[in-house]
Amino acid sequence: MSLQYLKDADAVGDREKLIRYVRLHFGDGNEDAGRHEIDKAWIEALKPLLDVPPTDREFILATLAEKDHATLAHLFFHLHFYFVQKSGEWIHDGRV
Amino acid sequence: MTVASDTNGGEIRQLRPGLWETVNERYPGSMITKSDFVPLATLSVPLNEARVTFVSTAGIQPRGTMPFDTVHPVGDYSFRRVPSSSRPDDLEIHQLKYPTFGAERDLNVIFPIERLRELVSEKVIGELTPDFFSFIGYNMDPERLERTLAEDIADAVCEQRPDLALLSPA
Repeated sequence: MSLQYLKDADAVGDREKLIRYVRLHFGDGNEDAGRHEIDKAWIEALKPLLDVPPTDREFILATLAEKDHATLAHLFFHLHFYFVQKSGEWIHDGRV
Repeated sequence: MTVASDTNGGEIRQLRPGLWETVNERYPGSMITKSDFVPLATLSVPLNEARVTFVSTAGIQPRGTMPFDTVHPVGDYSFRRVPSSSRPDDLEIHQLKYPTFGAERDLNVIFPIERLRELVSEKVIGELTPDFFSFIGYNMDPERLERTLAEDIADAVCEQRPDLALLSPA
């Protein structure tokens, strides 16, 4: 899918085309696999918080306050792959 | 099969002419469409005198350089210069979209840097450009790909004055 295809989808609020693109990216061209990968990343993000350990909220809040929207969005994609790697179930052929 | 003539009147056949349509079905609008037929260039010097470069989408880069951005949803439009004198251990692969199992064992299967040096020492080809070039193939904005990455690599390649450029998808 081209960038223009996605911009057109965004302009008319076609969320299904947008999320399908994300699933294809995370699933290496397999939409069902991508859906599973999204779930997997969220589960891995949840697990370290179950015991409510101390976290660096100052860092989090400062990052959210200081960094631009695109950088945070890019970080969000990085975090997806970070947690997928943490799961130990890596479906991709290469590495980030 | 598309058939055209080269500048010498010889017949050039375009292999797999339906490829673009197949890709477009799966990823609408992702392919750059060209109506012009681009003939293959002919080699202007004997092969054993030719200065050769290598351009690859394999995501090869010198260790310690900024990793290719494999997570960005729209792709990475940068390239890396890879010194043609590099040892495989000097290099690493950053990409997500092709199996690297074989390449991790022997980089030459995807980026034949030692094989090309052997061809120089055996005088099959003349010499190598100081650098080879690599980028990742996951680039979903074809206009940006053509306008920036392709132009940037073309300029960098031409600066090194190769007679022959090997282009290899990963």
